[in-house]
Amino acid sequence: MAANLHPATNGTGNDDFTVKAGLAQMLKGGVIMDVTTAAEARIAEEAGAVAVMALERIPSDIRKMGGVARMSNPEMIQEIQKAVTIPVMAKARIGHVVECQILEALGVDYVDESEVLTPADDQFHVLKSDFKIPFVCGCRNLGEALRRIKEGAAMIRTKGEAGTGDIVEAVKHIRTVNAEIARAKAALVAGGDLGIAALAREIGCDTALLKQTAELGRLPVVNFAAGGVATPADAALMMHLGCDGVFVGSGIFKDAETPEVAAKRARAIVKATTQYTDKQALIEASIEHGVAMKGISNADLKPEEKMSGRGW
Amino acid sequence: MPQNLTVGVLALQGGVVEHLNLLRKAAAHIQSSSPESLEGLELAFTEVRTTAQLTQCSALIIPGGESTTMAIVARRLGLLDPLREFVKVQHKPVWGTCAGLVMLAEQASATKQGGQELVGGLDVKVLRNRYGTQMQSFVAGLDLGFLGQGEEPFRAVFIRAPIVEEVNIAAEGGGCLEQGGKGPPVEVLAVYHGGEGQKQAGEGNGKGDIVAVRQGNVFGTSFHPELTNDVRIHVWWLRQVLDAARHGKLVVNGV
Repeated sequence: MAANLHPATNGTGNDDFTVKAGLAQMLKGGVIMDVTTAAEARIAEEAGAVAVMALERIPSDIRKMGGVARMSNPEMIQEIQKAVTIPVMAKARIGHVVECQILEALGVDYVDESEVLTPADDQFHVLKSDFKIPFVCGCRNLGEALRRIKEGAAMIRTKGEAGTGDIVEAVKHIRTVNAEIARAKAALVAGGDLGIAALAREIGCDTALLKQTAELGRLPVVNFAAGGVATPADAALMMHLGCDGVFVGSGIFKDAETPEVAAKRARAIVKATTQYTDKQALIEASIEHGVAMKGISNADLKPEEKMSGRGW
Repeated sequence: MPQNLTVGVLALQGGVVEHLNLLRKAAAHIQSSSPESLEGLELAFTEVRTTAQLTQCSALIIPGGESTTMAIVARRLGLLDPLREFVKVQHKPVWGTCAGLVMLAEQASATKQGGQELVGGLDVKVLRNRYGTQMQSFVAGLDLGFLGQGEEPFRAVFIRAPIVEEVNIAAEGGGCLEQGGKGPPVEVLAVYHGGEGQKQAGEGNGKGDIVAVRQGNVFGTSFHPELTNDVRIHVWWLRQVLDAARHGKLVVNGV
C-alpha cells in the first residue's frame, strides 16, 4: 500500500475535511459496486463490498440507451439506503449543484460528481467545499485530480471509460497520474518552490496542493480505480498500479443471468482486490468469476461516445 | 540479544497505513522520552493478512474500515478462529478502532441483514452507525483521563461510528466472563456527551455515549486516532504492550 495520507489533506487542515477524507480512507483496499436495486445492494454487501453506488442504470446500459443520464430517483436511493448498512454513494451530474443538494439532503454517504451522467454545466464543476457531504470525482491526470481536490473533493478515482469493460483507459489514467507525481517530486527537488510553481502552471493546478503531492509522493486524498474494471484480474491490476481500491460499475450485474451469477462475480472481485498479490487467490477468483461481460473495445469508440472527455 | 516484539495491524481493508505510521511515531516518541522502556526489545511493525503473519505478532491493531467487509474477508482467509485464539486464549494485547471495536465486541446491533461475524473479546454490545450516515460524522474534543492528569482534550474523529451500548454482558459461549467466570470487568475509559442532540427522541439518558473501553488485554475506541497526528493514544497503548512484554505476560518471538 502507498504511503500515508496527510490527516487533513486539501491544505485547509480543518476538521470537516478530515471527516470527509477519513471515510474514503476507511474504504481503502475495498470494492465499491454500482447497484440499481435494493436486491443488488444486498448482493454487494454480502459479497464484502465496502460501499455501493446507487444509480438507475449501470454505465453500460447508459451507453446503450443514450439520451440524458441524470441523478437517480430519490425513492430508489432510499430503498437502497434501507437495505444495507455499508455506505451508500450516489451520482450527480457535473456542475449540477441542486442534484448534489438533493443527495446531501437524502443523507447519502458520498456524492460522485460523475462524467458517467450527462454534464449539467459546461464551465464549472460543483464547488464541493460548500457542502458538508463528501465528494468523489474522476480524473485523467494529476492536474485534473488536484483541480477537483481544490474544489473540495475528498476522494479521487480514475475516469477510465465507464461501461466498456475495457481497462485500457483506467490504466492510462493511473499511469499518467503516477508519472506526473514523479515529475512533481523531481520538480520540487530540482527547483524547489519555483519548480513546483512552474509545473503547477503547466498542468493547471493549485501550487500548494501540488507541493503537498510532491512531498507525500502520492495524491493527498484516497484514489480509487474506476471505468472499465470487468474481471478480478482487472481489479488486481489497478491495485498493482497503486490504486487504493476499486469501483466496479457494469462488471458485476451486466448480463448476469441470475443473482447467483452476480454474487459469484461480486465475491470474486472482492477477493482479487483484497488479495491482489496472492496468485493462488487470483486463480480462484478468476475461476469463480467465470465469463466476463462482453464489453466494447475502447479503440472502437468514437470520440463523442467517450465519457472520460467530460469535465476538465 | 534483544527480543523481537512485533506489533501487527490487521490489513484486510481500511486504515492500515495510518496506524502503522502512528505506531512508528509512537515508538520514536517512547525512544526519545523513556528509552529504558525499550531496552532489550526490538520493536517491529507489520501488516497482517495471514495466520502465519498473525503468529509472528505479540500485539495487534484492528483498524477502521467496513466491519462487514473485514468479517467476510477474514472468514474467507480462515483468519477468524486464529484471531479469536490470539485475543481470547493467548490474551495478547489487541486494540480495535471503529470497525475494529465492532469486531472485538461479543455482540453487535444494527448489523447487516442476517448479522455479521465477530472476533469478540470485549464483553460489550456495540451499536453500529450510532450517529447515522456520513452527514452525522464529526470531530469532538474528548477528555481522556487515562492519558494522565491535565492532558489537552483529544481531537477524536468519529466516522459513521459505533458506540458501546451495553457493558459486561453475559456473552453466549466464548465471552471472557463466561470462560472461567473470573475475567476482568469492562472498564469504561471515555464517554462522549455531545451526542444527546443527535439521538432520536426519548433515547437520551444524560449519561453520554461510551466511546472507549478496556477489558484485560483488549482495548477498543469508537473513534479514529489514526486519522490525526496526535500520537498520545498510540504511545499509551504501546507502553502497555511493552509493559506486558517486560513482565513476561507476552509470548515474545525469539525467546
